[in-house]
Amino acid sequence: MDYALQQLLNALAFGAEYSLVALGLAVVFSIMGLVNFAHGEIIGVSAYSVFLAAALGLTSPIVAVLLAVAAAALAAVTFERVAFRPVRYAPTTTGLLTAFGVSIVVQNLFMLLISPKPQSVSILNGLNQMWFFGPFAVSSLQVMELVVSGLTILALVLFLNRSTLGLAIRAASRDFATVRLMGIRANRVIATAFAISGALAGIAAVFILARRGSVSPDLGFGLVLKAFVACVIGGFGSLAGAAAGGMLLGFIEVGLLVALPQEYGGFKDALTYVIIVALLVYRPEGLLGQRVELGDKEI
Amino acid sequence: MSDSAETIAARPSSTATRAGNGQFRRSLVGGPVTALPAVVIGLAILAFAPAYYTHLALAAFVNLIIVVGLQVFMGNSNIANLGHSAFVGIGAYGVAVLSTPLAMKKLSIPNAPFGLAFVELNPFIAAVLALLVVAVLAAISGKIISRLSGVAATIVSLALLIIVHSVFLNWTDLFKGNQAFFGIPKVINLPAMLVASVAVIVIARLFKDSRWGLQLRASAQSPQAAAAFGIDAKRLRLMAWVLSALICGLAGVLFAYFAGTISPKLFYFQQIFITLAMLILGGMATVTGAVTGVIVLSIGLEFIRSIESGVTIAGIQLPQLLGLSGVALGVVIVLCMAFRPGGISGRLELDEQLSRLFRRNVR
Repeated sequence: MDYALQQLLNALAFGAEYSLVALGLAVVFSIMGLVNFAHGEIIGVSAYSVFLAAALGLTSPIVAVLLAVAAAALAAVTFERVAFRPVRYAPTTTGLLTAFGVSIVVQNLFMLLISPKPQSVSILNGLNQMWFFGPFAVSSLQVMELVVSGLTILALVLFLNRSTLGLAIRAASRDFATVRLMGIRANRVIATAFAISGALAGIAAVFILARRGSVSPDLGFGLVLKAFVACVIGGFGSLAGAAAGGMLLGFIEVGLLVALPQEYGGFKDALTYVIIVALLVYRPEGLLGQRVELGDKEI
Repeated sequence: MSDSAETIAARPSSTATRAGNGQFRRSLVGGPVTALPAVVIGLAILAFAPAYYTHLALAAFVNLIIVVGLQVFMGNSNIANLGHSAFVGIGAYGVAVLSTPLAMKKLSIPNAPFGLAFVELNPFIAAVLALLVVAVLAAISGKIISRLSGVAATIVSLALLIIVHSVFLNWTDLFKGNQAFFGIPKVINLPAMLVASVAVIVIARLFKDSRWGLQLRASAQSPQAAAAFGIDAKRLRLMAWVLSALICGLAGVLFAYFAGTISPKLFYFQQIFITLAMLILGGMATVTGAVTGVIVLSIGLEFIRSIESGVTIAGIQLPQLLGLSGVALGVVIVLCMAFRPGGISGRLELDEQLSRLFRRNVR
């Protein structure tokens, strides 16, 4: 029982983290069709700025958390301004390859300017403790991941539904031209979407730092690949789909971890992807994606 | 473009197939012309350069074949493929497992499943079998990828890369895991590599100019219009995917046969980055673009790598600059996408460019 609960919490915590990152990808994709491969490097920038701040003498974990989120949002907006604006009206493939290029540049800059080797960051280790609830011992980090992700998603939903800018973002994902006709600036909508996407990545970066206690150049890359997969299973561009896909991915991973014998543990990633590809055979448009026939007009 | 329309219009009505044959002949001639720069460089290295450069050139020609393979799918279908190194790896490991001498296998993979530890095939037969495996896996993965829309297809191609890499790493009985797989017979030299490159370039040209290639490019530009003409885009994408995988698999086979030693990390993101940057820089719409990109970036990267490892300029020892070549690759991709999305060579093949040039001069 104890074991089952522990694994359930594991799955929820992993799922929450994937959902956060996948949501960040989906927000940007839904309005401008950009497949942002550089999202992982936004997480990287966030983590490295905490590392640098700690090296310069920052000791307060709260400031570090705020710094991580702010740095990530700033990085996302900067990437948009510098690299993605020139290809805004280009086909999806062009944007995707640009983002891939940005990802390579930033990863290698970390390598060049700081170090190719992992660097230790201990400032956020305090977040990762054992909490005891009666007979159960749970990791504080996992509980926080779950709670914070839930609250963040709630805040995002409120923002998108209740504020003018949020409304504009949702409308832009359907028909950008009309949104601009209503007198809303395209640049503002897109910058906001990137800032949201970055802030979500920053929160994810805090959890990664707290769990690993170190930074390395490819810190966010693997995570973002998984988040992409979550987006694809959920239906690319659908926000609810991204969140659901992230959760599902968490459950598949932990399920495999439990089910696989120790000596086959290395195949966990391979099997996860196999399961997902198999899912796509049955629903090529993703779980929550809508099947769009060629030439359909949205009503 | 316009002159082919004129010739068709000028002829009597029954010549539609003749026009098709003319196109076939033109691309059969165009292929070697496209390959010419690479061949000239290859021959020059063969004739003059020291052994170290021969080795570099062999590696560059492997990249050339990979990039041409990548172009077959990406250039015609306009879907980004980030998983082609999976097939390079399968080709390389295929021949490694099948053709390595038994004495070597006793050292490296004594517990290989299916009795593969006691198999030592002739390199040519091993290559054919390895390509067969590539074809089967490509057909299966292509079946899935050709059904998906652009972005999802790209992500699945990445998933494929990760699956294959993870199998190489973890199936240690067969692939030796993280360690290098050594002792593969070294049967490929530069002339053989040149022949293979030219063959692959001609094949890529023939596919691009064929009815299928044309239809696939049409459906990439406008899915609706192509579908209205009765073009089955899924089937064509599958075809291009399998052909592309076979060419990449061949590159892997050739790599294993010239290097003699392979390891999983050679067929992972590093290779994807480099080959993708080459294709984008050269221009992915044409085979000429693939060749151009490989030539320019191979030379450029070699230069950057010499700086990266720390050089002495005017008596000052520069420190090691790890990651410099990566930054350069990424910057090349980003700048290309922003300012010249068509790459260096644009929309015309080398022979088409040349014939335009000469026609203008005559006039």
